[in-house]
Amino acid sequence: MKTYFHVDMDAFFVSVEELFDPSLKGKPVVVGGRPNERGVVSAASYAARKFGVHSAMPLRTAYQRCPQAVFVDGHPERYREYSHKVYEVLCEFSPVVEMASIDEAYLDMTGTERLLGPPLRAAHRLHQRMKEQTGLNCSIGISASRMVAKIGSDQAKPNGVLWVIPGQEAAFLAPLDVRRVPGVGKVMEKNLHTLGIRKVGDLARLDEDLLSQRFGKWGLALAGKSHGLDAGGWFDSEIGTDVGPKSISHEHTFNEDTADVARLESTLSRLCEMVGRRLREHGLRARTIQLKLRYSDFSTITRAHSIPRGTGIDVELFEEIRDLFRRNWKPGAPVRLLGVHASSWAESAAQLDLTGEERREKWSRALEAADKLRDRFGDSVVSLAASLRGDFRERAHENPAGLPGKK
Amino acid sequence: MEFTVSKADLVTELSLSQGVVEKKTTIPILSNVLLEAAGDRVTLTATDLELGIRCSCPARVKQEGAGTIPARRLLDYARLLPDGDVNMKFLENHWANITCGRSRTRIAGMSRESFPELPQAPEALVAIPVNVLASLIARTSFAISMEESRFTLNGALLLIQPESITMVATDGHRLAFVQAPSGETGNVDRPFRALVPKKAMAELVKLAEAAGPEAKVILAGDDNHLFFQFDHRLLITRKLTGNFPDYERVLPKDHTLIVKLQKAEIRSAIERVAQFADERSKAIRVQFTSAEVRVFSSSVETGESEESVSCEYQGPDLEIGFNAQYLLDFLRAIPQDQVAFELKNEKSAGEMRPAGENIPDQYRYVVMPMRI
Repeated sequence: MKTYFHVDMDAFFVSVEELFDPSLKGKPVVVGGRPNERGVVSAASYAARKFGVHSAMPLRTAYQRCPQAVFVDGHPERYREYSHKVYEVLCEFSPVVEMASIDEAYLDMTGTERLLGPPLRAAHRLHQRMKEQTGLNCSIGISASRMVAKIGSDQAKPNGVLWVIPGQEAAFLAPLDVRRVPGVGKVMEKNLHTLGIRKVGDLARLDEDLLSQRFGKWGLALAGKSHGLDAGGWFDSEIGTDVGPKSISHEHTFNEDTADVARLESTLSRLCEMVGRRLREHGLRARTIQLKLRYSDFSTITRAHSIPRGTGIDVELFEEIRDLFRRNWKPGAPVRLLGVHASSWAESAAQLDLTGEERREKWSRALEAADKLRDRFGDSVVSLAASLRGDFRERAHENPAGLPGKK
Repeated sequence: MEFTVSKADLVTELSLSQGVVEKKTTIPILSNVLLEAAGDRVTLTATDLELGIRCSCPARVKQEGAGTIPARRLLDYARLLPDGDVNMKFLENHWANITCGRSRTRIAGMSRESFPELPQAPEALVAIPVNVLASLIARTSFAISMEESRFTLNGALLLIQPESITMVATDGHRLAFVQAPSGETGNVDRPFRALVPKKAMAELVKLAEAAGPEAKVILAGDDNHLFFQFDHRLLITRKLTGNFPDYERVLPKDHTLIVKLQKAEIRSAIERVAQFADERSKAIRVQFTSAEVRVFSSSVETGESEESVSCEYQGPDLEIGFNAQYLLDFLRAIPQDQVAFELKNEKSAGEMRPAGENIPDQYRYVVMPMRI
C-alpha cells in the first residue's frame, strides 16, 4: 500500500505578492496586469474569487466583476524563486517529489512513518515547516492513490489537510461532480452529462465496457479513476519518472493590435527566445515549429514547418518562424496575438550537416552563456538584437522553465 | 494512321516510357502515349511535363498520322499478345483498332492536338559512353535528398569539362562526388553545368541498360532542358533550378588519419550491427584503434550489438557516430575490395574512397558524423 501526498499551494501567486506587499493581505487581488490591459488573470485571491473572478478570465472581465480589486503585474521570477523554496521544504519530507506545476507537487510518503509519524502528523509538520520556511500556506491531500490525493487537496482548501483512508476512496469520490476528476474537461463533462452521469458515483456504477466502448482508452481510465485508482495519462507512470513536455509554446497578445512589421517580427524573435530557452532547459530539439497568428477579428491561423534535424537554437527557430510569418501574414492586417509553438522532439543522436555546423556550434555556446546569465540576473538581462522592439513582460505561467525537481 | 509493328518492339519501347507517364494525373492526356507514324518508323512519346521520352521502332506504315491512347492499358494489353505483328489503325473518333493474329481490340484514345509539344533538341554538346553515365549515376543517386522542400538537392549536379565528367549529389549530410575522364568527348570548350532531377536519373539508368554497354549517349541542353539521345531513344528533362551547394568547399582537404579496411568485412559487420541501431536515426558508433575497427549499436527497444574487423591504421584511438545507412550506401556502390576511411575527428566530415589497385576514376564520399 502506497501513501501519497498532494501538496497544493494556496493562491500561490497572490500569496507570494502578499509577502512582498503585506498591505494586499485580505484584499481582493488580481494578478496578471492592469484592468485596462489585454490578457488574462493569472491568479486571484480568495477575496477576489468571491466576486466570480478566476484565473484565465480576461482582465477586463475581472475588472467588471470586481472593480475594487487591486490589480498587480505578475512577477514570474518571484514565483520561480518561491517554487524552488517550496520544493526544498518538500524534499525534507520525501526523497520522491515531483512538481506537477509551479505550485503543486506529489510526494511519495510510503515508508516514512517511522521517521515522520503517521500521515496526519507528517502533514501537520509539513504545514508548519512550509509556513516557517516560505511564509506560505498549502493544502494537502493524502491517499493511497495520487488522483485521490489531488482531489483531496482541492477539497481541503484553504490551508487544510484531508486524508482519505484506504478503502474509502470510492465513497469519498461518489458525491463529487465528475468535473473534479483530473482529465475531465468541459467536453468530457458534457459528454458524460448527456449520458446522465453527473457525480463520480454515477460513473463508478457504470459498466467498464460501456465506458471503454464509448470513450476508448480514456473511458477505461475513467472507470478506474471513479474507483479511486491511478489510471490514464500521467497517472499511469510512477512519480518522478519524468515524461517531459510534449510541446513548448509561448504567446503574446498585443495591448493594441498592430500591423507594424518590425514590431511583429521583433515579437516573434522574443517568443522564439523564450521557447528556445525552455527547449534547452529540457535538453530538447524541436522538429516541428508552428506559428500562431490571430487577427483583429479573432480569425486565427496556425502554420507549421518541420525541420528534420530539430533545433533548440533561438535564431534557427526564428528563421523558420519568420519565414512562416512572411508567407502567411496578410500584409497590413492588424494582428492581435502571435504565438510560437515547438513540438515533436528529435532523438538524441543528431546527424550533423555538411555545412553550417560551425555557426550552430557558436550559437550553442553563446546561448549556453546567455542562459547562465538569465539564471542569475533574470530573463531580460540579455536578448537578441532582433527582439529588442518586441520587449514585453513575461506573463506568469503555471509551467515555466526550470520547474524544480524536473529534469 | 495505320501501321504494323512487331509485338516485341512495341512492348520494349512502351515499357521504357512507363516511368515517365503520369500515374496520378489531373490532366488525362498525360496518361496517354502519343503514336506518330512516318516513313518507316513509328515514334512513341510520353511526358509528365517535367520529363519527356521519345522512342521509336521500325514499322510498316500504311498511312502516316498520329494519335494518342492510354499508355498503361496499351502496354498491359500488348504484353499479353502472341509474338508476331501488331497492326494498329486509328479511326476518326480517336479510337484505335488493334489487330494481332486472331485478336481484335478497340481502345479509346484522345486527339493528338491536346498532347503537349516537347521541346526540340539543340545542337549536340558531347557524347558520353553509356556505361560511364550509368556508373556516375549508380554511385551518386542514393545521396540525393528525399526532402522535397530542399528542391536544389532533389537532383545531382552534372558538370562536363574538356577532360572530365563529374557528378555530385548531396542531401546536406553526405555528399557523393565522382569524376571520370571523358575520353573523346566532343565540342566542349567551356564547362557545362546542369542539375539533373532524381526522376530523370532513374530513367537514364533504364535507358542506359537498354542501350547496352558499348553505346554512347549524346547530350544537349538549352536554357531549361537537358536532352539525352540514346540512338533512337531521347529523354528530355527539365533542369532543376537554383544553386547547388558549393561542393568543393565540402570536400575535405586535410585528412590526417587514414584507415584501410576490407570492404566485404566492414560491410557485413555494419549490416549486422545496424539491425540493433535505433530505427529512425540508424546511429552506430565506430571505434578506430590501431588493432581493429569496432562497430557498436544499441537501442532501448531491440537490444545491442557489436563487432570488430581488422584494419590498417596508425593514429590515436577515435570514436565517431555515423548513420549506418550512409556508410552502407557507399560500401554497396563500389566494386573494389578495399576501402579507405579518412578522418579528422568526431565532429568533422569523414571521407570514404575505394582503395587498392584498379581504380579508374575519382570517387569521393563525404559523410558527416552523428553526435551521440
